[in-house]
Amino acid sequence: MSSAAWLANKGRQVGTLLGLLLLGALLSILSPHFLTVSNLLNVLEQTAINAVIAAGMTFVIISGGIDLSVGSIVAFSGVLLASALQAPLAAPLAIAVGLAAGAACGLVNGLLITRGRLPPFIATLGMMSVARGAALVFTEGRPVSGFEAGFRSLATGRVLGLPAPVLAAALVYVLAHLLLSRTRFGRYVYAIGGNEEATRLSGVEVRFHKTMVYVLCGITSALAAVLLTARLNSAQPIAGIMYELDAIAATVIGGTSLLGGSGSLGGTLVGALIMGVLRNGLNLLGVSSFLQQIVIGLVIIVAVLVDSMLKRPGR
Amino acid sequence: MKIARPASFVAALAGLALAGCSRPAPDPSAPAKPRVALVLKTLNNPFFIDMQKGAQEAATRLGVDLVVQAAEREVDVDKQMQIIENLIQTGVQALCITPSGSKEVVPAIAKANAARIPVVIVDTRVDVAAATEAGIRLDGFVGSDNYEGGKVAGEYLIQVTGGKARVGLLEGIPGHETGDSRLEGFHDAVKNAPGVKVVASQTANWERDQGFTVFQNMLQAHPEIDALFACSDMMALGAVEAIAAAGKTGKIRVIGFDAVDDARKAIAAGTILASVAQFPSEMGRLAVEDAVKLIRGEKPEPEQKVRIELVTKATVSGN
Repeated sequence: MSSAAWLANKGRQVGTLLGLLLLGALLSILSPHFLTVSNLLNVLEQTAINAVIAAGMTFVIISGGIDLSVGSIVAFSGVLLASALQAPLAAPLAIAVGLAAGAACGLVNGLLITRGRLPPFIATLGMMSVARGAALVFTEGRPVSGFEAGFRSLATGRVLGLPAPVLAAALVYVLAHLLLSRTRFGRYVYAIGGNEEATRLSGVEVRFHKTMVYVLCGITSALAAVLLTARLNSAQPIAGIMYELDAIAATVIGGTSLLGGSGSLGGTLVGALIMGVLRNGLNLLGVSSFLQQIVIGLVIIVAVLVDSMLKRPGR
Repeated sequence: MKIARPASFVAALAGLALAGCSRPAPDPSAPAKPRVALVLKTLNNPFFIDMQKGAQEAATRLGVDLVVQAAEREVDVDKQMQIIENLIQTGVQALCITPSGSKEVVPAIAKANAARIPVVIVDTRVDVAAATEAGIRLDGFVGSDNYEGGKVAGEYLIQVTGGKARVGLLEGIPGHETGDSRLEGFHDAVKNAPGVKVVASQTANWERDQGFTVFQNMLQAHPEIDALFACSDMMALGAVEAIAAAGKTGKIRVIGFDAVDDARKAIAAGTILASVAQFPSEMGRLAVEDAVKLIRGEKPEPEQKVRIELVTKATVSGN
């Protein structure tokens, strides 16, 4: 990365963070209920699920791909996890079942893209439908509900005053950040997104690493399913509809380019928080859900507009 | 750096400005009104819009500050939970909720209980087993008897067909108490008429467009169908279009549920035979009245049944 591009990237990240802080400041003025410890924890808890999915999505988008199947994978791995819990399997085993289901969906995505040479949009669009249908067939359309308290503590538990889902999401981000910034795999993800052909010619096993990116995204979707299932005490085959758009939005607001090759997990986390804070604030202010959709759409558009304005002088 | 304009700020400002216009600023000199929140499944269904109207009228009459919120999608149980959590943060004094999921709403109610905010459930019941297991407290229920409504629809179908029909059913989302009860009531009614056979039963997820496609497919598979019971008018109205597309208007007797405006028009026009009317605005009114009682420390009726009524061509003219 040239130093100018590095600066622009840093500037973008700081800009996003500034956006979040200003949004917070504005909401603190407009609503007396916003800036309280319990509400801020509330926002973090509500953001955790989207943030975890968006972490995997960030890898996919940096690699130059897209994953439209995350919401359906949330539903599919969620109902498998829930049925395993009711089998009854011990919670760690049941969670392993759910994660394996997510990883398997991701593996199929990855193989279709790298071996079958399908565009990621098409492969994951297919998976979106297949995984959703599989979840519906498996449950006959009905939710699978009611779990033991141990599993539910993943949603209700608190450690050092922090809600368990928030800690889980934080852990995901620390690990994912290390993976992306400190390992060879992470560097390859950037390289593949920047110039896939050059990366292949320099001897990198592109197909393997690309496949692993989708496996990773499947796993984070399944992790989100664990959090969602514990939170609602129920796994629904119709859960996670349109979650892919929220995850893509968080990633893009966070400054990851849809063209691939650049982006960061820190940015995505801030992007997810902006969406969470915005939804929370609009609820606190009693804004109608119709207007909320307009606002969220505007935020996505403005974020990407700013992105392209930032990049233009560097060209 | 200088050009790193905080992305979301501008948009958020725009949104909040819009928001500001839509709500009058509270008058600080007036005494604090009791604040009640009504959380609906969605606001893009006439049924819930009527409920909101009824609630708003009652709120104005009783001097209540009413906040109405809904998720974008009726089935989005997590979004509904987020809305309830956020409303708890704003310190509303009572919550009226139409659950998006009979079981999935339970954790959100547990949070309201913990915050000592009374909860009135409207329209869709909370799953009894899930509620008992979680040990949540509900302070009231307002709604119509969906089982009875389904039964009324079934009995009417037997009466008009002389006890001979090939019936297709459009179900609501599985696991929704409202749809499940309507279906059960209908099945129990037609059980007594051996000539009435249910030949196909599928969900159209409460949606008008899915009512169209699902019933179109049903007609392909079962051309002998001569009657339809849809668990909601939205699905029935979609099916009416499918019937027209198949050139079978008038040959298939359609009974819907909810008697929304569009369905009443269709009944007058003869494309829908009948619809089971619920009175959502009455539900909204009673829910707000219950909420006010609870805020005052009074006890409302634990169960308030709102009347149901079969709307047919003979009775629809009044509307």
